[in-house]
Order: sequence, then C-alpha cells, then structure tokens
Amino acid sequence: MPHILRNYDDELGALKDTVVKMGTLAVVAIEKSVSGLLNRDLDLCYYVIDEDEVIDQHEKQIDEQGMAILLRFSPVASDLRHVLSSINIGRSLERIGDHAVTVARRSRKILKAGELDEVRLVEPLMIEVRRMLSEALVAYSDRDEKRALAVIKMDEKVDRIHKVLAKSLTQKISEGLPETESLLNIIFISRSLERIGDLAVNLGEDVVFSASAEDIRHTS
Amino acid sequence: MPDDAPATARAEEEAIIVIDNLSFSYDGGRTAALRGVTLEIQAGLTTAFIGPSGCGKSTLLRCLNRMNDLVEKAAITSGQIRIMGHDIHDPKVDVIELRKQVGMIFQKYNPFPKSIYDNVAYGPRVQGVRDKAKLAHLVEDSLRKAALWDEVRDRLDQSALSLSGGQQQRLCIARTIAVKPKIILMDEPCSALDPIATARIEELIAELQEEFTIVIVTHNMQQAARVSDQTAFFNMGELVECGETARIFGNPSVKQTEDYISGRFG
Repeated sequence: MPHILRNYDDELGALKDTVVKMGTLAVVAIEKSVSGLLNRDLDLCYYVIDEDEVIDQHEKQIDEQGMAILLRFSPVASDLRHVLSSINIGRSLERIGDHAVTVARRSRKILKAGELDEVRLVEPLMIEVRRMLSEALVAYSDRDEKRALAVIKMDEKVDRIHKVLAKSLTQKISEGLPETESLLNIIFISRSLERIGDLAVNLGEDVVFSASAEDIRHTS
Repeated sequence: MPDDAPATARAEEEAIIVIDNLSFSYDGGRTAALRGVTLEIQAGLTTAFIGPSGCGKSTLLRCLNRMNDLVEKAAITSGQIRIMGHDIHDPKVDVIELRKQVGMIFQKYNPFPKSIYDNVAYGPRVQGVRDKAKLAHLVEDSLRKAALWDEVRDRLDQSALSLSGGQQQRLCIARTIAVKPKIILMDEPCSALDPIATARIEELIAELQEEFTIVIVTHNMQQAARVSDQTAFFNMGELVECGETARIFGNPSVKQTEDYISGRFG
C-alpha cells in the first residue's frame, strides 16, 4: 500500500535507486580491477582508481537522502529500517570501492613487474565476491530475506578460496622465487577480495534487518 | 470504589486497569463504537492509544472514568472494566470517587475562572480539606509535580486565565494531581500547544510516570513513541494490536498497524 504522501514514496524509491546504482558501480569496480590484472590492462586499473571518487559521492548522496527522509517524514517500522539499512549499505559499498582501488593499485604494480601465471588464481575469488555483491543488491532491492541469508552463507566459500590461495603463494614465497613482491601483491589482492566478501555479508545482514527487523549481526 | 477499600486477592494479581471484552455504543446499541476490546494496563506504565479519527480511542479513554455516563443513550453493551480489581459499573461504585482515582486532562485546557491557587485547591476543598496550611502544602506540592511552581509561586492569587496555554494545561494537571489520583487519563493533551509547551508536557509525563499510571490518547505518532511504554492501536472500534511501544513502532505484528503508523492510511 502506498503512503498517503506521494513524495514519501518517491523519496524512499529515490534512496533505493541511489543505493542500487552505487552497488552497481562497486560491482563494476571489482570486475574491472581484476580484469585489469588478468588482461594486463593498465587503463582498467586507472579507471577503477579514478572512478572511486564517483562511488564516494554516492555515499554522501545516500546520507543526504536518508537524512532528508528522517527529517521530513519521521519514518517508522519498515520504512525506518529501510532508511537505516540503506545508509549502512552506503558505508559498506564505499569500503568495497576502496578495496577495489587497492586491488587496482596492487594489480598495477604486478603488471609493471612483468608477467606472472599466478594472477589467474584470483579469478575464482573475484567471480564469487562479485556474485555475492550482486545477489546482496538484488536482495536489498527486493527486500528478500531468504536471498540475503544465502549471500551470508556464500562467504564460507570465499574464505576457503582465499585461505588456499594465500597458503599456496606463501609456500612459493618461502621457496625463494624471484617474483616475491608480485606474489605478495597477489596475496594482498586476495585479502581485499575476501574483505569485499565480508562487506557483502554486512549488506546481507542489513537486508535481513530491513526485511524482518531481526538484527543478526554478531550472532554467530 | 472507596479509597481505603481492602485490596482483594484479584486486585493484587490484576493489572491496575483490566478491560474485558468491552463493547460500547452511543446510540443504544444500534452501532458499536467499541467492539470486544480486551486490554490490560499495568500500574506505573504510560500507555498510548493511537488510531485514526473515529477509531474509538477517546471513547475507550472516557469509559475509564465513566465520562460517557454524561452522554445520552451511550452505554456499555457488553464486557466489563475493572480498575484496581473493582468493576467500575458496579452499582455500589461512587462515580465521584472513581473520578477522584481516575483523573482526566482534556485536549483543550480548561482551568476554572479562578485564581491559580484556587484552581489547584478546588478538588481538596471539595473533599473537605479546610486546614489552610495543609491546603497550601497540597497546592505547592501539586504545582511542583506539574513543573509549574517556579513560574507561578509569586502570583498564586492571579487569574488562571492569565497564564499561557501550556501553563494552563500544566495547571490542569496540577489540579488533577491535587486529589491524588492513581490513574491520569490524557485526551490529546498537547494538540492545542506549541512545540515548546508540548515538550514541557511530555517531560512532565515522564516525571509523573513514577507516581501515576497514565493513559494518553494522541494523534502524534512521535509523541506516542516518545512518552509511552506501551501502545495500543485501534481501528473501527477494535483493538488491532497492543504491545511495547518500541516494538509497535519498530516492527508491528499486524500489517494494519504498520500501514497506519507509517502513513499509508488514516
């Protein structure tokens, strides 16, 4: 049922659109940062570093929109939860953008150092975290608690992939291979992707709160 | 309901107000203004009644001290209200005594056209308090509890009508407190006041809560959220949902409640 005040619906809808748009930019940043590494495309790395400013501006826009709704409409119940979770999600997406920048910067260093087969190891991780984030955004848009819970579950696989990758590369480093610095950078990239998975979990938790009023953070 | 009536076992166990399957009509039973309302209000809590106009919230409030007795053809058609364990419609109940125990503050402040002092002293005098020192103490104590003493202590003999709207409403609260009720009913007590006077009344409600059980009818959702411990939502004469205020405004159980509080109908 729509609100009696049509502006209220319009502004809640606009807030959601901004969050989804910011989320889409974050997904693209993750893809491009890893594509830059895999395809040895420095331009993609620079693109991600430059575009982070756009993601940051979206966070500010979400705060402004959320505050305006709180101020003008004093939302309660599911509307209030929607506003609060949107603001929280804006925070998480901004940090995801920062991690994508870290991936892009580390990728740039690796590319400048020369070719390395081990870069392929991060692709499955990128695919998983991209899927997590996309699913979390759909769950947010649809207020789909079930889908959000599934996103949270997906993080186990991400953690596992990261752990295996880090272990394998640490082993190679200990063998004294000449590409030590690049291998370390791959581990840092893997670490950033794993953190993006954690932030996608935060998104899932925010969606669960928005949809059901249940605060599942810090419960496991 | 005599003041010194021995507490029955049921009164000790029960909530201070028990509304049991109450139905009420203003036209001799042809149409129901309240339908089968069942609700318990625990002592020491502030309870907010919310709902759209005509939902029955003020009707129910006025039932609690039998104000509706004054309305022709208005009557309870079924059910019962027990206050402190006593059926308030029991023929043995003295309505004046009931209203002493269950005071009421109205939407439009209504001080008597008398001095500030006489407004507050009115109730105790009717009850037979003649001792000047005792009356003066009662007046000061009531005005202090109504957070008005500091503003009027030097002009107690001035007309109550010389006070501002917010002060007049606090004077009405002092007048109610002076007869030492157990329960205070408030029917939209801030709807005629500006935001500052409203804030003072809300602050006062929080202070009075330590001593009295308060039931407040309000159209202001934020006010209900701020001042009450529990909230009851009514629609079309029925109690839709009642629960802890934080839950009602954070995550109501019934969709109808959510639609109303979030402005989807009204």
